[in-house]
Amino acid sequence: MIPENFEYNAPANLQEALGMLSSQGAKPLAGGMSLIPLMKLRLASPERLVDLGRLSDLSYIREDQDSIRIGATTTHQQIESSALLRSKCPLLAGTASHIGDVQVRNMGTIGGSIAHADPAADYPAALLALDAQVHLVTAKSKRTIAIGEFLVDTFTTALAPGEIVQEVIVPEETSGIGYSYQKLVQPASGFAIVGIAVRLRKTGDKISLARIGITGLAHKAFRATAVEKALEGTAGTDADLQKAAASLADVEEINSDLHASAEYRRHMAIVYTGRALRVALSRMT
Amino acid sequence: MKIAGSYTLPVPQDRAYALLQDPEVLARSIPGCDSLVKTGPDEYRMKMKMAIASISGAFDGKVRIADQTPPSSFRLLVEGTGKIGFMKGDGLLKLTSNGDSTDIGYEGDVQVGGTMAAVGQRLLDTTSKMIVKRFFDKLAAEAR
Repeated sequence: MIPENFEYNAPANLQEALGMLSSQGAKPLAGGMSLIPLMKLRLASPERLVDLGRLSDLSYIREDQDSIRIGATTTHQQIESSALLRSKCPLLAGTASHIGDVQVRNMGTIGGSIAHADPAADYPAALLALDAQVHLVTAKSKRTIAIGEFLVDTFTTALAPGEIVQEVIVPEETSGIGYSYQKLVQPASGFAIVGIAVRLRKTGDKISLARIGITGLAHKAFRATAVEKALEGTAGTDADLQKAAASLADVEEINSDLHASAEYRRHMAIVYTGRALRVALSRMT
Repeated sequence: MKIAGSYTLPVPQDRAYALLQDPEVLARSIPGCDSLVKTGPDEYRMKMKMAIASISGAFDGKVRIADQTPPSSFRLLVEGTGKIGFMKGDGLLKLTSNGDSTDIGYEGDVQVGGTMAAVGQRLLDTTSKMIVKRFFDKLAAEAR
């Protein structure tokens, strides 16, 4: 499997990269875990690749007041093993550890993953549960948008031509938070049949904040607002959790493929949501 | 693979039916359609370029409209081949009047083969739904 001819550009810094990307036919390359296999199969044949993977100014995990900024070419492995994320944003670090396999985690990047927008990728579930923001740049402009706004549809994001993800911004978690990412994995691809990210906050003995991000179930990752509403204000008893998870029965347009029918997916989404909620509560600090 | 769904177009039924039979409107609405040329009664030759995620490929295909019963239903047969694979679809579209708008129900069978099917099994369902939705969204924009 040999790709078609393409030009390869290795910019020295972000500014140079953005300049190269502003021309027609240029495609950014990050870790290459999705793009390179597609090119080898000739399903994708970009004229020119701009390699962002070598840019040191896009690979970082930085604390900034109450949030953590993660550079776009930070690898899954770096996120999974970051002491800062493990202590202050454990949901993201935990989710990264579920992605693909070791080789993919060593090469794949958070910016590449979300820009590809696979409807079964792991990060979007966690980033939705975290109310994350995405910072986007072109040669001439920059903007910061919510992850929910960034993920438009299957393989479709809010990125404009020539625009790339510069960093992902997640909140630093204070105490009183419980979290969990539970994934039913499709072993051949490593992608989620369903993946459920849960982030809960308790005030007194009531759940005061619930964020549930779901991937793999529909055409894009989404927040299960019905489940969130059903949880907020309850004490989080087993019955409360079951009842909240069961509201996924109303989700429409569920994916179906040869690995999992729509009915099976829906059922597993309910089971895994219940599981994620219980784990999140048991981890409540 | 079976696909089925529905979409509501914000125009009366007669107009919705006419839009769906108008090759110029279809050419502008079918995602990635470069040209749609009439080759016979209710038969068209189509060239399209699909681009989803990083995947892109050119297709050369045929579109045929059959079993017309204006303004309530018709059959749409589409086939295309390209370097990255082939596809073949056969669907029945039913239009029902809903006040000032029209509900369009579709039901059909799609076959996809070649490289894109071999590696993309996991995503065929989601992707075909997205393409159908894009088509109707554009059609709705045309209707305005």
